[in-house]
Amino acid sequence: MRLRTLLHTSVLQLTLVYVALFGVSVLALFYLIYWSTVGYLERQTNETIQVEIDGLLEQYERRGASGLADVIAERVRKDGENRSIYLLADAIGRPLAGNLAYLPDAPTGQWLDFVKPDGASASTPVRAGVIRLGPGLRLLVGRDIRELAQIRSLFTRSSIYGLTLTMALAIAGGVLMAFSARRRLADLNRTTRQIIAGNLSRRAPLRGSGDEHDELAGNINAMLDQIQRLLEGMRHVGDSVAHDLRGPLTRLRNRLETLAAADQPRREDLVECVEQVQHVLDTFNALLRIARVESGAHRSAFAALDLERIVRDVCELYQAAADERQIELVCTVRAAVEVFGDRELLAQALTNLLDNAVKYTPTGGRIEITLERTEDVARIRVADSGPGVPAADRDRVLQRFTRLDQARSQPGNGLGLALVNAVTTQHHGRLSLADNAPGLAVTIEIPALVRSTTERLIAAPLTRVASGAPQP
Amino acid sequence: MRILVIEDDKDVASFIRNGLAQAGCNVDHAANGKDGLFLATTEAYDALVVDRMLPGVDGLTLIRTLRASKNTTPVLILSALGEVDDRVKGLKAGGDDYLVKPFAFSELLARLEALERRTKSGSDAPQTILRAADLEMDLLRREVRRNGEAIDLQPREFQLLEFLLRHAGQVVTRTMLLEGVWDYHFDPQTNVIDVHISRLRSKIDRGFERPLLHTVRGVGYRLDG
Repeated sequence: MRLRTLLHTSVLQLTLVYVALFGVSVLALFYLIYWSTVGYLERQTNETIQVEIDGLLEQYERRGASGLADVIAERVRKDGENRSIYLLADAIGRPLAGNLAYLPDAPTGQWLDFVKPDGASASTPVRAGVIRLGPGLRLLVGRDIRELAQIRSLFTRSSIYGLTLTMALAIAGGVLMAFSARRRLADLNRTTRQIIAGNLSRRAPLRGSGDEHDELAGNINAMLDQIQRLLEGMRHVGDSVAHDLRGPLTRLRNRLETLAAADQPRREDLVECVEQVQHVLDTFNALLRIARVESGAHRSAFAALDLERIVRDVCELYQAAADERQIELVCTVRAAVEVFGDRELLAQALTNLLDNAVKYTPTGGRIEITLERTEDVARIRVADSGPGVPAADRDRVLQRFTRLDQARSQPGNGLGLALVNAVTTQHHGRLSLADNAPGLAVTIEIPALVRSTTERLIAAPLTRVASGAPQP
Repeated sequence: MRILVIEDDKDVASFIRNGLAQAGCNVDHAANGKDGLFLATTEAYDALVVDRMLPGVDGLTLIRTLRASKNTTPVLILSALGEVDDRVKGLKAGGDDYLVKPFAFSELLARLEALERRTKSGSDAPQTILRAADLEMDLLRREVRRNGEAIDLQPREFQLLEFLLRHAGQVVTRTMLLEGVWDYHFDPQTNVIDVHISRLRSKIDRGFERPLLHTVRGVGYRLDG
């Protein structure tokens, strides 16, 4: 991997920020330690010098310049290790008393660090304070700070070493992190590139560590599964469209050819041709609608809905058709249920179910629609006394264009249940087919909204005025 | 009826123009939104047929612009987008009705006539009594009489008849009925609407010499005015 690519990884950029923050914190920590150790020693030295200056000042005030010189000489003599430095100098800096050969050039009233030469090779670092004693006299009092200087340089040196080591470790860690993240991402990238190249069955490797990379890989895999399912669905639809529409279109073509050859085409023939085209268009529309439902485009329009209202509406819509065929249509609402969904889609799904039921139930039969609620599930059951669907075919009839042999004689396009299935899925529900002995029982289960609707009237009269207001 | 068709698809446009001309309408055509907007604002039309997706100015913007300039000519939107939210968007923009492509010409004509009628009878005070020939509906007392004889209707049959009466003399399609009476916007399957109509017919026409409710083959129904 080239350095430039490395520099562009977000992980490394984050690492650099982290290293900088880390460095600043370490510096702050070092400063704190310095202030409380070396700083403490310095402050103590300064205090000692200050106390001594105060003492000498007192001597000067009591005994004058010569007295002060005596005291200084006495103190120099007593201080065997030469730890204290004194100098009493006149106006032009000549020494009058003390153990320092000259007065360093320094303003009075400030702390002063300088190096005192001790013979040819040795020297002593000194911290001193200088004050003015009346006209023409200056007093310097200092302390040998050799130990302080040693501690200070020791501290500085170890600080630099420590900081360097810390930074090196932080950078090394960051780079390692960047490399490892890149390697994980490289796996994902390789997989996605292979998929782009056409190998849709590839999946990103999982490490089982459960970290965010694994989560990402897992999500990508789930997404790929979904895409593959959709693609297979599309392929299946494509095949089915080709297969199921070729028939009617071929027939239409033949018919039109015959008509074109005829001297005077009959009007009824033309009307039938239009009807055939309409059938093909209806099929296309139904397919498009299913595709649109499956794409989830309706989700944005989902709202809280009263299922009872929809069930009663659709029952009422089909009541007349059932009556006409002397089928008993019974609508039972056991509980008022609210769901989160699309009114039109649910109504159309129910319409499709009732349409099938009315179509396949023999004269004198019975259709029952039941709406009930168990805890957090709304259940709509449409049961008829028709021929039913054999257990082996129950999964198949939910797919597009499946028409069982017994249904071939009835009008239809084999898309009704596919739409019901798509609508149910979009509502996070479950569609199941069962034997009604005799007949078919279709159950739609969708999550119910939890609200305090339990006190509502349970069995309202079947017919009631809906608010579908006619236009003025 | 003078109608402006704003549609960029040549085939669809000529299909609509020919059909409307045959139905006795005076038709103008614009192939893009800009020309359409110009014609709609400078000429007086009874209704506009506006495709939703147009080059230049798109259909919804065109309608919004018209409405903003207090032009109340009824607009029928044509669209390949047929979902409920698309419809709602279209009507919100100021459209009066919405028809999804592909459509049967008879559906378009029926809806245009309904639109035109609605605006003509428009600003009157709300009617409380609807009449067609010797059939009379009292909306306040919710009673229906024919030739003075009371007819007993179920609530839905009442609504259905009310819708037909409000469109008396015009063809109404099955889709229009499902929209206007049941307030659902999908294609009615097979014959559910027909069964409701035949029930209603048996109540209002049986025993009377002159039938009022007619089936218009392949299109829908018409209640004689």
